Amino acid sequence: MQESKPKILVVDDEKGLRIGVQRLLEMEGYDVDVAENGIEGIELGTKKEYDLAIIDLKMPDVEGIEVLKKIKEKYPNTVCFIATAFASYDTAIEATKLGAQSYIPKPFTPEELLTEIKTGYQKRLHLLEEDKWRREREERLLEVAFEKTRLNTIINSITDGVLVVNKEGLAVLFNPAVLKFLELAEIKVEEYILDKLRPEILELINKFLLSDLKEKRSYTIQIELKPNREFFIEATASPVFHPGENLAGVVIVFKDITELKKIELIKSQFVSMVSHELKAPIAAVYGFLKIMSDEKIKLTEEQKKDYINRSMIRLDGLLKMVNDLLDISRMELKTIKKEIKKIHLSEIIKNILELFQIEIQKSNLSVDFDYQQNGLFINADADEISRLFTNIISNAIKYNRPNGNIFIKISQVGNFILTEIRDTGIGMKEDEKKKLFSEFFRAKNEFTKNVSGTGLGLSIVKRIVDSYSGKIEVESEFGVGTSFKIYLPVSLS
Amino acid sequence: MSDKKKILLVDDDLDLLEQNKILIESKGYEVITANSSKEGWEVFKKSKPDACVIDLIMEEYDSGFILCHRIKKDEHGKDIPVFILTSATYDTGFKFDASTSEEKEWISADEVINKPVVIDEFVQKLENYFEMKGK
Repeated sequence: MQESKPKILVVDDEKGLRIGVQRLLEMEGYDVDVAENGIEGIELGTKKEYDLAIIDLKMPDVEGIEVLKKIKEKYPNTVCFIATAFASYDTAIEATKLGAQSYIPKPFTPEELLTEIKTGYQKRLHLLEEDKWRREREERLLEVAFEKTRLNTIINSITDGVLVVNKEGLAVLFNPAVLKFLELAEIKVEEYILDKLRPEILELINKFLLSDLKEKRSYTIQIELKPNREFFIEATASPVFHPGENLAGVVIVFKDITELKKIELIKSQFVSMVSHELKAPIAAVYGFLKIMSDEKIKLTEEQKKDYINRSMIRLDGLLKMVNDLLDISRMELKTIKKEIKKIHLSEIIKNILELFQIEIQKSNLSVDFDYQQNGLFINADADEISRLFTNIISNAIKYNRPNGNIFIKISQVGNFILTEIRDTGIGMKEDEKKKLFSEFFRAKNEFTKNVSGTGLGLSIVKRIVDSYSGKIEVESEFGVGTSFKIYLPVSLS
Repeated sequence: MSDKKKILLVDDDLDLLEQNKILIESKGYEVITANSSKEGWEVFKKSKPDACVIDLIMEEYDSGFILCHRIKKDEHGKDIPVFILTSATYDTGFKFDASTSEEKEWISADEVINKPVVIDEFVQKLENYFEMKGK
């Protein structure tokens, strides 16, 4: 029930009747407005919504039928009565056609009026209730339709494949992405799909469909759809239950995990490569120890000394390799805290060259280094930059020819400091250049076989350069020499 | 002493070369060495060994394989046992596994021996070949 009083509009040109009805209804607890002619009646009746209206049929300006029409147009739920002394069958028909609740013949007794009004008011409440229901229903339908489109839009736009299969094996919901995972050209809604699936996927779905158990957990499988890791997928199936806990179907989500698998492969290849590289020095040291401890094998003191010495060299190389690997792993994990300072690059390179003095003299190399007093500065971690250039200069020495040259030049190019390090060494072939920065790659040929190294130096160089948003370029000619150009961002402060 | 069998050992790891030389010598063979496939071929032509043991992966990744192939096609080489030494398997990251029968066929060697060399097994295999040839 409405809290406020029922509102009634009385439209009648007859003053006595108007006031009489108003008084009677107000006494009964209604809220009454009156209009003394048709025009005023239309005005009031369309300005606000009344619960009920009693309209006199015959008025001098506008006919009561007209007033009824206008009010009903605006507020179809206002229950209207037509009151008239000139009762006729035709006007009654017309009035009810236009939506009048009933026809009150004048004169009427207060009881007759009140009974009509009460019935009319019940009708009014009923109309309002009906209206409310209708509106709610419409809203709900709209919402459901909206939800459905929204859900479809979402499902259709995700790149993972989604397939919902009901208990009978019909495809009830799916998105376009699922086609490539199922290797199908099309699926029709409500199509029987089980006979079109790969056995692995079918088995996955059947874990739920063929099982009496109320399995709540999901199952995941991985399938290599195209060999050589070209297309690797992961399918996860989960049960869908009706509210009553009965199995409704199965939802399967397909993911493309090709990239993941590729990374996994690279990782495991790296691990085997590391193992292989570590195995060689260990095997060598192991071999020497075995020979020396074998009583049946007679060795001279000289030989023993030589073998111990050679074992030490191999162990030393092993240690270097493990250290390099640790450095790479720290760089990958980013556990190294960079101590960024303003660095005088010429000074760093000068120090490195001093450390290599003995090696440089041994090969009788001449170094052409243009030390810049006023210097060019970069903001970086001194240890890392030192490591970077140590690795490159060390290569320039190791792979140089006797009596060769090393040129080092530092200059500014735009916002970068360019350090160019050129040697007159053995150089590289095109295919070797491509693999230069990959772990454990070492050019193997007549010239390099007596050069020791971990195969990790340039891989570390590349990582350091990348970490400073720098760039490294290599030019090389086999048998002539190699030139490295390292660009590092200039320090502006 | 002159009936000592002469074995050519080729490996670019000088330490392993020396160790295997000593091991094989300790079993009563004469061992001549080379530390590249190029040198291996030269020594082979010059000294005509009774058997060859070649490391598969040397300065160039497939040079041991090529040397093996050349020796097997040689007039002298075709009648002597040629062993390949390797630690290359799929497990160690190579795209090649000398332990599979298909790829063993592809290498023209008589035996593929895994590193490190188990000397007694090695000698046993070698002697089997010499015996076969002797008959």
